[in-house]
Amino acid sequence: MNILLLPDLLIILLAASILAIDLYRGKPQSTVSFHMSWIGLLVIFCLLIILPYDQEITYWGTYKVTGISLLFKQVFVLSSLCTVLLSAPYFKPGGNARGVLRYRSEFYFIILLCTFGMFAVVSATGLLTLFIGMELATIPLYILSGYQKEDSLSVEAATKYIIMGSLSTGLLVFGYSFLYGCAGSLSFKAISVFAMASPTDPLFRLGVLFVLAAIGFKLTIFPFHMWAPDVYDGAPTPVTAFISVSSKAVAIGFLLILVYGPLAPLHNYLQIILLILAGATMTVGNLGALKQKRLRRFMAYSSIAQAGYIIMAMAGTAAAAYSSIIYYLFVYAAANYAIFFIISIVGRNGEEEFKSLQGMGKQNPVLAAVLMLTLFSLGGIPPLAGFMGKFLLFAAAAERGFYSMVIFAALNSTISLYYYLLLVKEAYIIKPAIAPRVLVIDNIQRISLVLLTSAMVSLGLIPLFSSNIMAIVQ
Amino acid sequence: MNGPFLLTTIWIMPFAIALASLPVRHDNHRLIKMISLVGNLINFILIVVLTLQFIDVAGADPAATTSSSSLFHFAYKTSWFKIMNIEYNIGVDAISVLMMLLTSIVIFCGILASWNINKQVKEFFILLNVLVAGVYGVFVSLDLFTLFLFYEIAVLPMYLLIGLWGTGRKKYAAMKLTLMLVAGSAFILTGILALYFESGLSTFDLNLLSQVRFADSFQYWAFPIIFLGFGVLGAIFPFHTWSPDGHASAPTAVSMLHAGVLMKLGGYGCLRVGMYLLPEGAHMWMSFFLVLVTINVLYGAFAAIRQTDLKYITAYSSVSHCGLVLFGFTAMTFTGLKGGVLQMISHGLMTALFFCLIGMIYGRTHTRTVSEMGGLMKVMPFLSVAFVIAGFAGLGLPSLSGFVAEVNVFVGSFANPATINRVCTVLAILSIVVTAVYLLRTVNTVVNGPVSQKFAMLSDAATLEKIPVTILLFCLFGMGILPGWIINLVNNAVNPIFNNLMR
Repeated sequence: MNILLLPDLLIILLAASILAIDLYRGKPQSTVSFHMSWIGLLVIFCLLIILPYDQEITYWGTYKVTGISLLFKQVFVLSSLCTVLLSAPYFKPGGNARGVLRYRSEFYFIILLCTFGMFAVVSATGLLTLFIGMELATIPLYILSGYQKEDSLSVEAATKYIIMGSLSTGLLVFGYSFLYGCAGSLSFKAISVFAMASPTDPLFRLGVLFVLAAIGFKLTIFPFHMWAPDVYDGAPTPVTAFISVSSKAVAIGFLLILVYGPLAPLHNYLQIILLILAGATMTVGNLGALKQKRLRRFMAYSSIAQAGYIIMAMAGTAAAAYSSIIYYLFVYAAANYAIFFIISIVGRNGEEEFKSLQGMGKQNPVLAAVLMLTLFSLGGIPPLAGFMGKFLLFAAAAERGFYSMVIFAALNSTISLYYYLLLVKEAYIIKPAIAPRVLVIDNIQRISLVLLTSAMVSLGLIPLFSSNIMAIVQ
Repeated sequence: MNGPFLLTTIWIMPFAIALASLPVRHDNHRLIKMISLVGNLINFILIVVLTLQFIDVAGADPAATTSSSSLFHFAYKTSWFKIMNIEYNIGVDAISVLMMLLTSIVIFCGILASWNINKQVKEFFILLNVLVAGVYGVFVSLDLFTLFLFYEIAVLPMYLLIGLWGTGRKKYAAMKLTLMLVAGSAFILTGILALYFESGLSTFDLNLLSQVRFADSFQYWAFPIIFLGFGVLGAIFPFHTWSPDGHASAPTAVSMLHAGVLMKLGGYGCLRVGMYLLPEGAHMWMSFFLVLVTINVLYGAFAAIRQTDLKYITAYSSVSHCGLVLFGFTAMTFTGLKGGVLQMISHGLMTALFFCLIGMIYGRTHTRTVSEMGGLMKVMPFLSVAFVIAGFAGLGLPSLSGFVAEVNVFVGSFANPATINRVCTVLAILSIVVTAVYLLRTVNTVVNGPVSQKFAMLSDAATLEKIPVTILLFCLFGMGILPGWIINLVNNAVNPIFNNLMR
């Protein structure tokens, strides 16, 4: 047994022990599970950083740990950590205007289980592990999005999510059956061999398209994005944040592994499809976001658009796509969580709407500045990390000569800047009609926001991190 | 002090000023303003030192460096982002040095002109300094990535500066300006990525890229992208519409800085990135852009005639005069390029003075409508005289800076023997007449005539307000009477660009 598998084992152990301790102690409102989760995740993250990234070990023929998978695991663990911290006030009375969440230990248990599923996806060496990991990463989310049981919106979100999610699983299995039928095996190696031998086989391509459609649901690619705004709006905020970052990241990992792994011989065929999907997705996301008035719905459309930019990079070479996308995931996660922390502050005693931000520039200038920096990072404005991230994504597409696509995406990014500026306008320029509410910021939120903001600034200026990713990818 | 270190200090200084203002208490307006003023004064001195050193190194004698292939001095580079071979690569030629000098003068005057601001003072000066840092950054960058990065930093603070401290339709104007400029930078971004990959060198280094002979088919589509992308900030027709609204709504210091310096970033980018790196593309597209720019020059002038708001008049005259910058460039002759660069400096000084004066007049009369004013010469003689001189500079009176620049632009343009150049030059020269019409009429209405009753009690400029006006007037005359050293410096800088164009 090698040390490389340790994070995966630890996360299961952590999940199980949280559940066990809760059963043993029997106090539903105790904060032990919260502290165990965040400390445990922090330890696992530190472990992930010090692990060797230049090794590649396959366990039992189905579970492969590589440098790239470790990078993805860093994203997942960080995202789970942020979700755990974000969720803290939601379990306290008065922590959120929508009502108190219950079953704290189960919440963290489910989050950790999900995270393990994501670990499995990026460690897969065959379609089976990929499938099991993906389901393990998705099914718990159905439960989580209905966690606010008294709220009909939350229940609606869970229902929608489970129906759409099941449909996508069905498509995935259907696509698998074609791939299996063609290659005669579920392992990537066999599929790769088949793809190399007959890349134009129509049944094989059909299977690939089904798989693409299935993953399109998870990744909110046009035309499979329709569930996102409702689910994002209905689910409790920490869950929305988790779906918008982790669930998206795992779907991207899934797609990257397939596109640059067994399906690499089809890349010339796939890149056109991916580019068209990317263009449509970013346009739909950006246009959809223009008219939103509710913050979480707005974030749903914004994250649809972001998915478009990410898919665009998959038209590039493997090295460029991997390094730019992984870098962007970190950047995107930091910005998204910062926004959701601000939403949680605003939502403590009010509606999570645009209007609630009014007057923030005067009443709470630091928080408003953080909001502005975050939005600029999402919009890709230098010197914040979002700019570097987008630049790398665009460069990945440009390297293959898709310049018209780059112009299209960059203009799309201008549209997105418009609605990000709308939020800045609410916070700074529009004078509030009524006296703004006093915003209460607790210590967890303050520390998290400080860390996330400094990450957004430093990732964009300090080259160390991106160089590391590049070194690991190559 | 050694050159590269000086350059780095100059662009970091405004950031440092912004950081230094952060811990100051919100209501301590005086300290915040003083930090900004003193910091920018130090920066001005540093830039003067830089200019002197530059003249020392490069020599103001045109013959000395004609053959020299090195365009940039005080160059320094070190790796920054390994991932795309991005470098921190700085260096200056005469154009950048002169533009930095202009920037430092305008920002210093701008801070003095906005001494009366009392709403969210801290945020205002922080944003203003960030904007200036971006401007300096563009002028010292020799790496296309950092150039683009600073370019964006210079553009974005405008949104809040106009939206929060502006007047009139400020929310609309701020959004329009920001989005149009960012859309322009979408093209620039694609352009520099294309240069990076098509050069085969995988570098953003301007010096290395300038030696690459790009394929004609590539230049054919890349040049208009880059030229238009930067052209948006240079208010090229039909992408000039952000400029009148933006400048009219912006607070005084921001109008000064934006019309005076930021619009020049557009021309600077067109010249430095577009024409320098893609000369063959420039040849293919020049007549097209020449026509666009001629429309700029004429349309701006005619539109200004119909305006009633002082700021709109100046803003449209900016469109017309900034058109002359690009008009000089599109001539594709040595004199034309030189004239374009001179016009960047001259227009920067002139328009800064205009906006500065309008801000001060508006602060007293509380109206910017020309027809409501009159006889200001009697109540505020200092401001009125300055206003008259600014008007003369605008219509290119000899002994003022505008003349030097415009003569070079028109002579350079007519020197190109192509019919279209000749025709466009004649048309563009006609714009001077139109300019004379609106400027003289406006100046006449505002300054002469009977004093309206409600303006009779107004005071003339205070000492603090006289300083920026005097500085700008001094510079206008200085450049008009003693243009020799500037022209020599510009000659040196334009030479390599022209050689590239004619290769």
